[in-house]
Amino acid sequence: MRKHKLIQLLVLIILLVPNVLMAQAVEKNTLSLNLKYFNDNNITHHLLVQAKSKIDGKFQTIPNIPVQFYIGTETDKTNLLGNGVTNERGEAIIEIPATAKEAWLKSPNQNFVVVSSATKKFDEGKGDLAITKAKLKIDTAEGKMITAKIVALVDTVWKPIAAVDVVVGVKRLGGILNANETQTYPTDSATGGVIAEFKRDSIPGDLKGNIVIIATVVDNDKYGNLSSEMIVPWGKKSVYMTNFDHRTLFARRGYSPLWLELLAYTIVVAVWSIIFYLLVQIKIIKKLGVE
Amino acid sequence: MEKLAENKIVEDLLPQKFGRQGQIWVVSLLAVCALGFYAYCRQLYYGLEVTALRDYASWGIYISNFVFFVAISLVGSLITAVLRLTDVHWSTPLTRIAEIIAVSAISFAGLIIIVDMGRPDRFYNLFTHGRLQSPIIWDVIVITTYLFISLLLLYFPLLPDLKIMIAFKERNGKWLQKLYEFLGSFWKNKPEQFKITDKAINILSITIIPVAFAIHTVTSWLFATTYRPGWDSTNFGAYFISGAFLVGAGGVLIAMYVFRTHYKLEKYITDDHFDKMGKVVVLLALVYLYFNINEFLVPAFKMKKSEEEHLMGLFTGEFSPIFWFAISASMLIPIFILVFKKGRKPKWAFFAGILVVVGSWFKRFLIVTPTLLHPFLPMHDVPKSYTTYIPTWEEWAIAGGSLAGALLVITFFARIFPIIPIHETIIETDSHEKA
Repeated sequence: MRKHKLIQLLVLIILLVPNVLMAQAVEKNTLSLNLKYFNDNNITHHLLVQAKSKIDGKFQTIPNIPVQFYIGTETDKTNLLGNGVTNERGEAIIEIPATAKEAWLKSPNQNFVVVSSATKKFDEGKGDLAITKAKLKIDTAEGKMITAKIVALVDTVWKPIAAVDVVVGVKRLGGILNANETQTYPTDSATGGVIAEFKRDSIPGDLKGNIVIIATVVDNDKYGNLSSEMIVPWGKKSVYMTNFDHRTLFARRGYSPLWLELLAYTIVVAVWSIIFYLLVQIKIIKKLGVE
Repeated sequence: MEKLAENKIVEDLLPQKFGRQGQIWVVSLLAVCALGFYAYCRQLYYGLEVTALRDYASWGIYISNFVFFVAISLVGSLITAVLRLTDVHWSTPLTRIAEIIAVSAISFAGLIIIVDMGRPDRFYNLFTHGRLQSPIIWDVIVITTYLFISLLLLYFPLLPDLKIMIAFKERNGKWLQKLYEFLGSFWKNKPEQFKITDKAINILSITIIPVAFAIHTVTSWLFATTYRPGWDSTNFGAYFISGAFLVGAGGVLIAMYVFRTHYKLEKYITDDHFDKMGKVVVLLALVYLYFNINEFLVPAFKMKKSEEEHLMGLFTGEFSPIFWFAISASMLIPIFILVFKKGRKPKWAFFAGILVVVGSWFKRFLIVTPTLLHPFLPMHDVPKSYTTYIPTWEEWAIAGGSLAGALLVITFFARIFPIIPIHETIIETDSHEKA
């Protein structure tokens, strides 16, 4: 009896030991949060965070991570801008709300922080970003020239900024088509501006020939992402082409080609006329039989 | 003497009551129809889910049956119109058999399409949303037209026979007598009436040929106007028509034998009729074989990658047993049997006819389904059951029920009306004797 109990205890230990060992073996991955700032047309500002982690020796984007965005520091909970959850690309976006205006106006430089709490698979994560407030302005000059100018806030004055790479182009099919062969223009030290010649004359615009030109600064270490857009009538006028109301073989009901209708209805009328003629003949035969 | 012969013909050819065999036959057909109806009720209740029809094999044995019915209906135009217009008189006893096969087959072709729709109320959409450019609309128009012409072609030659039948009031019974009187009490054998009837039959014989060609050409275009392996052919119209004439002629061989033996009509449907009809079947089988060689050899010679899977599936793959059975049964073996004089004797001809009809049904299945299971773009992200097509019992029951229904129409027609034209037989016998 005692021997049996001993065996039972031994089996129990053998079954439990691997579970205990496995429970200790679970290792969490480190989460990296990469924060970016965007100034959209000098009207709205938004933050984007991308969550990544090194899994199996490769950096992979991590979806479904809850994150909190802060302006200034995360220690003061009143600095909270909002919450988000990373999407399938590992990204979460938040527009800087109007409630953050006071914190935003405090200084020409601004810090942003993003934090995520620890989950079953990942440790807690934190990312921060320091930017200097800047504006990018787009305009046009005679002879289809596009001008763009960057100014940054120094103390309380907006001053031109030199040596920042600006992309100048046309918004097209979800991307940016360069205004000419030059990929980027560095701003000059005197005006903080760039000039690009527009060489995309044949580009299709809307019905009036309007297109959207854009100047953008991409991932600048100091100023973040800036963009400015403008509508100009430099495109080729689009003519709305449709054969929806045309008579074609592939059109909808009632829009078959006339030749087909003529042919089909002629055949149908001809054959059914014969049938009706023969029905009349039956009537005549009947009449002959009654007489 | 002439009157005696005439009486004998009338006596022989008047419709007869069902004997024991006939009753068993009718009950069996009704049972199959009832099972089909039950299966159809299940389909209406549960939807097309009860069938094996899925995203890829969206046309199965219902459409195979439809094409088969349309094909066999063409026999009406072959026997009645083509042979009549070419002044071939030996086919006279077979005209009504051919016409009733045509009428019953085309009626069930229309019905089976509604079955295939799943929800019958959707037929209404064809009138509210149908496009004149669509071959489906042409098919609806041409099937309706062909049905009306076939009914008229059945009715006009029946008028003189109705007068003969009305004379046998006691034999007919109350119900049949009323029907005969409703249909033909006005027929008085007046020369003017004959003149109009002869003219009408001639008009119908001429009209039915292009309509018959149209019905099967349009049916073939339902397939050929889509870009799919096995259907993308400019030859489909002619291929379908030649096959249709063959299956129709095979059907007539079967009907000839059944009516001859069951109603003791050996004097009217003679060995000579089997001999001649057998030769017609050989000719039609050879023509259809020629089109089959064209239809398969040319794509197989080129063996385009997109066609390869479909063709190899037929030649050596999963459909090869059905394919080689269909080719052998509908063409090769009947040719081999009927090419010999002994093979054109009634029993052998009947056997050849059965082979032609059964083989042709499977041939229609092969035209419809394998193509759908071999699309140009590979099947992707679908359940395994979507990649094959094995009809469910409901589909078999409904398809079987429709075939039984078509046979039931022919059976009841033969019970009510003379299956061999009495008046025309008397006229031809007279002219033979005078000659």
